[in-house]
Amino acid sequence: MSNLGRKNARTATVLFSLVAGMVGLSYASVPLYQWLCQVTGWGGTPSTENVVASDEISDETINVRFDSNVSPMLPWKFEPMQREVTVRLGEEKLAFYRATNTSDKPIVGTSTFNVTPFKAGPFFVKMECFCFTEQVLMPGESIEMPVSFYVDPDIYEEANTKEVRAITLSYTFYEAKSQAKVSEVKTPDASQDNGG
Amino acid sequence: MANAADAHHDDHHDHYPSFFQRWFCSTNHKDIGTVYLFVSMFAAIIGGGMSWYIRLELAEPGIQFIDDFQWYNVLLTAHGFIMVFFVVMPALIGGFGNWFVPLMVGAPDMAFPRMNNISLWLLIVALIMLLMSAFVGSGVGTGWTAYPPLSSGIYHPDAAVDFGILSLHLAGASSILGAINFIVTIFNMRAPGMTLHKMPLFVWSILVTAFLLLLALPVLAGALTMLLTDRNFGTTFFDPAGGGDPILWQHLFWFFGHPEVYIIIMPAFGLISQIVSTFSKKPVFGYLGMAYAMVAIGVVGFVVWAHHMYTVGLDVDTRAYFTAATMVIAVPTGVKIFSWLATMWGGSIEFKTPMLYAFGFIFLFVVGGVTGVTLANSSADLVFHDTYFVVAHFHYVMAIAAIFAMFAGWYYWIGKMSGKQYNETLGKIQFWMFFIGVNVLFFPQHFAGLAGMPRRIPDYPDAYAGWNYVSSIGALITMLGTFLFFWILFRTYASGEKAAQNPWGAGATTLEWHVPSPAPFHTFEDQPDMSGKAPAE
Amino acid sequence: MTNKLKLFFSAIAGVFLVSGSALAGPNGDVRSAPWQMWLQDPASPTADRIVAFNVQLLVIETIIVVFVLGLMAYIAYKFNAKKNPVPSKTTHHTGLEVAWTVIPIFILVGISVPSIKHLYFADHIEEADMTLKIIGNQWFWTYEYPDDGNFTFDSLPIAEEDLKEGQPRLLSVDNKVVLPVETNIRLLMTSNDVIHNWALPSLSVKLDTVPGRINETWTRIHEKYVGKTIYGMCSELCGVNHGFMPIAIHAVTKEDYQKWVLKAQEEFASDEPVQPKAADAVKLAAASQAQ
Repeated sequence: MSNLGRKNARTATVLFSLVAGMVGLSYASVPLYQWLCQVTGWGGTPSTENVVASDEISDETINVRFDSNVSPMLPWKFEPMQREVTVRLGEEKLAFYRATNTSDKPIVGTSTFNVTPFKAGPFFVKMECFCFTEQVLMPGESIEMPVSFYVDPDIYEEANTKEVRAITLSYTFYEAKSQAKVSEVKTPDASQDNGG
Repeated sequence: MANAADAHHDDHHDHYPSFFQRWFCSTNHKDIGTVYLFVSMFAAIIGGGMSWYIRLELAEPGIQFIDDFQWYNVLLTAHGFIMVFFVVMPALIGGFGNWFVPLMVGAPDMAFPRMNNISLWLLIVALIMLLMSAFVGSGVGTGWTAYPPLSSGIYHPDAAVDFGILSLHLAGASSILGAINFIVTIFNMRAPGMTLHKMPLFVWSILVTAFLLLLALPVLAGALTMLLTDRNFGTTFFDPAGGGDPILWQHLFWFFGHPEVYIIIMPAFGLISQIVSTFSKKPVFGYLGMAYAMVAIGVVGFVVWAHHMYTVGLDVDTRAYFTAATMVIAVPTGVKIFSWLATMWGGSIEFKTPMLYAFGFIFLFVVGGVTGVTLANSSADLVFHDTYFVVAHFHYVMAIAAIFAMFAGWYYWIGKMSGKQYNETLGKIQFWMFFIGVNVLFFPQHFAGLAGMPRRIPDYPDAYAGWNYVSSIGALITMLGTFLFFWILFRTYASGEKAAQNPWGAGATTLEWHVPSPAPFHTFEDQPDMSGKAPAE
Repeated sequence: MTNKLKLFFSAIAGVFLVSGSALAGPNGDVRSAPWQMWLQDPASPTADRIVAFNVQLLVIETIIVVFVLGLMAYIAYKFNAKKNPVPSKTTHHTGLEVAWTVIPIFILVGISVPSIKHLYFADHIEEADMTLKIIGNQWFWTYEYPDDGNFTFDSLPIAEEDLKEGQPRLLSVDNKVVLPVETNIRLLMTSNDVIHNWALPSLSVKLDTVPGRINETWTRIHEKYVGKTIYGMCSELCGVNHGFMPIAIHAVTKEDYQKWVLKAQEEFASDEPVQPKAADAVKLAAASQAQ
């Protein structure tokens, strides 16, 4: 290859690797996106990783509202068991949602969630919940799902979030992509509850 | 500025390949450029036809012609894809870029002539696939933005979207390979003595465009592949039921999509610099500022993407950042506008057809640009997002400004490319017809948008009838202006006057004017010595 | 901003606002009038600010466009080849280059400061007095009133052949959203299928409804719109009937709102899960009432 040919091939190789790098970056964006939302709370992502109980419980209170949505493809009824609670900042609270399988087939459901307003996301700490855990419900079965959380007192320290008076926690239930769990579950005993 | 020292080009008139070899297996940058221009014109008729049909429907309230609303959505989607990927890009980059970058840097051809041909044929196949997608199942009715879940397998269950995805993959590959070709050519094959700071601004614009293509298109490719596997292989990148997020698609798409619109306009910027300089008989004012303004626009263009997403539900701080970043781009853009004006100031301007188009470009790009400043503000965008105000804005900067640059380039260079010159009187008439047409077409759309008319709808509340009617009249005039252009093109090829080597006089200083018209099959096989010459703006 | 400047902008705003409202829809409906060239009348505090801001933007941008046009007209006149046969050789002027870099920066900062202020205003949630939940479907809206008895209803577009006198085409729905004026309303929205967008130009509300998440914003309707209907349209391409899923808000006094709530609780209440019906633009709300 001539000198020019070699030089061109070298330059082209560098450029191809830039292309490959950008493709890699776009796939990396998938976990990066999740991670960024977790770390910043953007999009109303609550803190769910490495959570510890708040060391401070203030006297100030905030309202927490509960919202629920069900995908039209999922024949479940899904509702919060309390519309709204008033909690002290830092105080751990337990809230419940109830889901009922209104169909005649066992179904595995899974959920997504976020809080609003978005800026409250980093201050909403979920100690425990049924988030992505796949829930199996037999036909007609009802289940009460707990979510344990607190609101970080720092929410009233930041200029932007000082004026937040109510946070809404919302779950949306979907039919799980893999229904495999259905076969793993034994027939339940006395917790049948038709129509909630 | 090159002078007689460039006379070392060889003519190989007797060495043309056979017809099939020459046009289907070309490794000649001029021939490939020519085919790209014809592909662009062919696609323009289709894409333009779709928009004229849409305007025909929207001329009056009620449904008159398009009662299949999925077909309406397919038309508006295809119109967008075709105009962006198969009209403007092939004309400015594939067509004029291929033709004139090697000539302007004094190189015999592109760095990888065979890869150049691959780019061309990838694009042609991509166009065919896109057109086919309209006839598969119910077509792609998602808008060019293809947001899931609408574009997912649930809401577009047939293979049409998959055809569209594959079409875009091919078009993307075509452009990425082309970008590599341009960058290597410009970096490694300039004539001796032509430093980067002596290159014509058109070459600078293609260089910046090529880098944008290189870095943005792969992200589109990644996103498209994720959509493809979501649709066909059970992945859930954008499906909340599987832990995915439809908003992720939007981030990825617009991370590509915003640089894409700079890819569209950047070569136009370079072209306008050449034409303004030629017809003012002055070098471009502030050459370095112009070159680096383009670089700045390109770089900043990568960090403003979410101004297309102000209403999806982004945190307020995020929106504040993107507002500020987007406003920043207006600064280098303003530098360019004022530099063009300063180039003309004190010049000796001949208003031939290319210069009319360049003049029109500058003014109309400013009009489109200021509505862009309005839209950059996320608070104001609350009333403008997804309305005809946005449609008016991007058509001003793309359909008017970029197309003006395409016409300007055609009129400027057709003599060099074909050896025949166009009829100046007809050219001027065509300019005025098109100028009036596009302004009557798009200006009223600002009003419709301000008044609240959403985009992508086949019918509208009666209150919007007035401006829609006017806009459709504009579409008719534009259509006639386009037909006149094709008549001029035909007349030029059939019976145009022989073109001079340099029909434009002392202002035309770049290297392509130092070769005969039409340019010989091979040029600059011995590269000219450019050392000691001033920048050939 | 100086008082004189504020007066100037208000005068311009006044011109537009008056012309806008002079052309308002029949019965004072809040929607576009024929040949309207400007924004719809602002009906919320956010909209007041956004409309005024747009006046300022229009003034600045018009000045810029006219300035460039003026320069270009002068250039065409003074520097055409006949009038100026010998071109100058000037290619640099540092002062000019600095000026046209720095002055736009000042203008842009001058625009950004109020812009960001309005952005944070539109975002900050005042203490909400009530909540409206909005769910987008292909191709109609579902509304829930979680704080007022949690009743829910669908709002279906009225087909052209069923329109009554005074009902605007492509904007009329069977069940309007009823909201009290002078009340801070929290708006929560999501979608049951694809991305839609709930948009009301005169309230400056526009927010995507995304499946799998809740988006939130707020609004407050000015008292002067009591008795009026405020219209909007879906603003994100969502399939074949994207252009045919309008939004209509009927603004009432707080007392009338309470009365309506009592009626609505009876009319729309059901303890069945909220499942959207199959998309059918002509379907009447009777289906949801039949439960």
